[in-house]
Amino acid sequence: MKFISLVLKSARRSKRRTALTVLSVAIAVFLFSSLRAVLDGFSAATEASSSTRVITIRSTSMIFNMPTSHADAIRSVPGVQDLTWANWFGGIYKDPKNFFANIAIEPESYLRMYPEIIVTPEVKKAFLEDRTGCLVGSGLVKRFDWHVGDTIVLKPGIPYYGTQDYTFTIRGVYKAGSSAVDDQTMLFHWKYIDERGAVHGQVGWYVAQLANPDAAARVSQAIDEKFANSPNETKTDTEKQFQASFASMLGNLNLLLGSVALAVVITTLFVAANTMAMSVRERTTEIAVMRTLGFQAATIFMLVVGEGLAVSIAGGAIGAGIARVIINGEFLSMAGGFIPQFGVNNWNAIAGVGLGGLIGVLAALIPAMMASRLKIVDALRRVA
Amino acid sequence: MALIELREVTKSYRRDAIEIPVLDRVTITVAEGDYLGLMGPSGSGKSTLLNLLAGIDRPTCGSVRIGDTEISSLPERALAAWRARHIGFIFQLYNLIPVLTAYENVELPLLLTNLSKKQRRDHVMTALNIVGLGDRAQHYPRQLSGGQEQRVAIARAVVTDPAVVLADEPTGDLDAKSAGEVLTLLQRLNQEYKKTIVMVTHDPRAAERASHLLHLEKGTLAEQVKA
Repeated sequence: MKFISLVLKSARRSKRRTALTVLSVAIAVFLFSSLRAVLDGFSAATEASSSTRVITIRSTSMIFNMPTSHADAIRSVPGVQDLTWANWFGGIYKDPKNFFANIAIEPESYLRMYPEIIVTPEVKKAFLEDRTGCLVGSGLVKRFDWHVGDTIVLKPGIPYYGTQDYTFTIRGVYKAGSSAVDDQTMLFHWKYIDERGAVHGQVGWYVAQLANPDAAARVSQAIDEKFANSPNETKTDTEKQFQASFASMLGNLNLLLGSVALAVVITTLFVAANTMAMSVRERTTEIAVMRTLGFQAATIFMLVVGEGLAVSIAGGAIGAGIARVIINGEFLSMAGGFIPQFGVNNWNAIAGVGLGGLIGVLAALIPAMMASRLKIVDALRRVA
Repeated sequence: MALIELREVTKSYRRDAIEIPVLDRVTITVAEGDYLGLMGPSGSGKSTLLNLLAGIDRPTCGSVRIGDTEISSLPERALAAWRARHIGFIFQLYNLIPVLTAYENVELPLLLTNLSKKQRRDHVMTALNIVGLGDRAQHYPRQLSGGQEQRVAIARAVVTDPAVVLADEPTGDLDAKSAGEVLTLLQRLNQEYKKTIVMVTHDPRAAERASHLLHLEKGTLAEQVKA
C-alpha cells in the first residue's frame, strides 16, 4: 500500500505521455469490447433459442422465398405440432439510417409459437383484428417516441413488395421475454404485404413447433425430403442452428473479429511497452539511487510493473466505460433481428478492464526487468 | 575496534579485452565516530572506494567489513537489505526524485521498514528539522536551491539512523556559502549525532573539516594525514 503513491507519482511524471498511453489502451479496449459485443449478441441469441422449434428456409439462401403451399406439406410431417411463417420486409422508416427489423408474420400462429413476445390479451386482440395494425418492441417505441395509435409509414426495401408506401397503425407494444427476441422489432400481418406485393403467396421462412425436441433432426430431414428435387428445395435447422447461420453468413466472425481485436491489442502492447521502456530509461539514475537506498531489485520490478498496470487499467476502464455506454443497439440503431441483444454487458466491460491490465503488465515486463537488473555503479556513472 | 575495515582490496574493471586497475591492495580502517576525508585526483579510485563501502560495487579481491558484516561476500538481496539499515549515501548531484516532495524524498528509505505512517512522519520531520528544512517539507526539488536540495539529501541519508554516512563530493556542485552550510551539517552529524562519515572530496576546505584524511593516487594509498 505504501508504494502506491510512489507508483502513481511516477505515472504522472510525464502527463502528456501518460495521457497518450492511457488513450491508446482505451481505444484498444473500446474496440475489443465492441467486437466482443457483436459475438456476445450472436451467442446470446443462439443460446436462448428454442429447442422445440425448427426453421425452414430455401436451400439456396434465405433471401429467396418459398410458396405458401409448403405449409400444408410441413404440417403433414409426423412430429410437427404447429406451424407459422414470416417474411423479412426490409421497410425503410423515413430514412435508411433509421434501420430496424420489420417482419411480416402470420399473426395468430406466430404469437402462439413465440411466447417470448409478451403482449397483453387486449393488445393481442387489437392487433389480430386490424390487418394494417402492427406490434412494436418496447425499445423501438422509446427510440422513436411512438405511441399506441400512431401511424407509421414504411417504404418497401425489397422489390417483391412494390414501390408504394405501406401504412401501419401501432396496436400495441410487446416486451422481449428472452434473448432470442429483441425489443427493437416491428411485427405486422403477412396478409397485408402479400395482398399488396408484386408477387403473391411467398414466404421467407417457416417455423415448425415440435412435440419432442429429440426429434428435431428426424423432423428436419423429413421436411427437407418433402421438397427434394422440387424447384423450391428447403433447408431445415433447429432455431439454434438457424441463429448460428446468421453469423456464418458473414463468414467466420469469431476469427475475423478476433483477428482485428488481436491486431489492435498487439499494436497497443508495443506502443505501451515502448513508452514504458522510454520512461524507465529516463529514470536510470533515480532507479540506481533507489537501489543504493536499499530497494530490492524485486521491489523495483514491482514498482515498474505497477506503474504499467495503473496506466493501462485507467485506459481500460475508460475504454470499457465508453463502450458500455455507447455500444448498444438502441444507441447505435443497430439492433433488430440479427443480434437481438446487442451491447457491451458488465462482464464484457470487466473483461475489457482486465485486458487493459494485461496489456500494462506485459508492456512493463521487459522495462521492469531492465530496471531491476540495472548495475548501480554503471547507472550512477560515477567512476572516479 | 574499527567500524570499517578494508583489507587488501583490489578493484579492476574490464573494458572489452582490457583490464583497467582502479584500486590496488588498499587497506584502510576507520574507527567508529570517525570523520574520514578521501582526497585524490580524478581517476584515483576515491568514488570506487566509496562504492565498495556502500556495497553497491564488489571488490575484485580483498575484503570489506563494516561492523560485524563482511559485505563483500553478501548475496545481492541481503546486501540491499543491509544497505537500507546501515548506510546513508549522499551524492554530489543530490539525486532527489523530482516528482516527490522533500518530505516524500526523505521518507523513501523508510518505506523499506515496518514503521507505521505516523512513525515515518516523526522520523522524516526530525531529519528535516536537523537539516533546517522542516518548513520546506512539501516543496518539490525544483522549488529548492542547490544547497537546500543537498540538505534534503542529507536528511534522506540519515533518516534511518545509519551507522555510516558516505558522502561523494557533497559540496562539488554548490557555491561557497551553501557548501559551508552542508559541511557544518556533516560536522554536526559527526560530533553531535556520532555518525561515522566517509567523505570523498576535491575541496581542501571540505577536507579541513574531516578528522582524518587519506590521499589516493592511482589506486593506492599515498599518505595518511591527521587533520
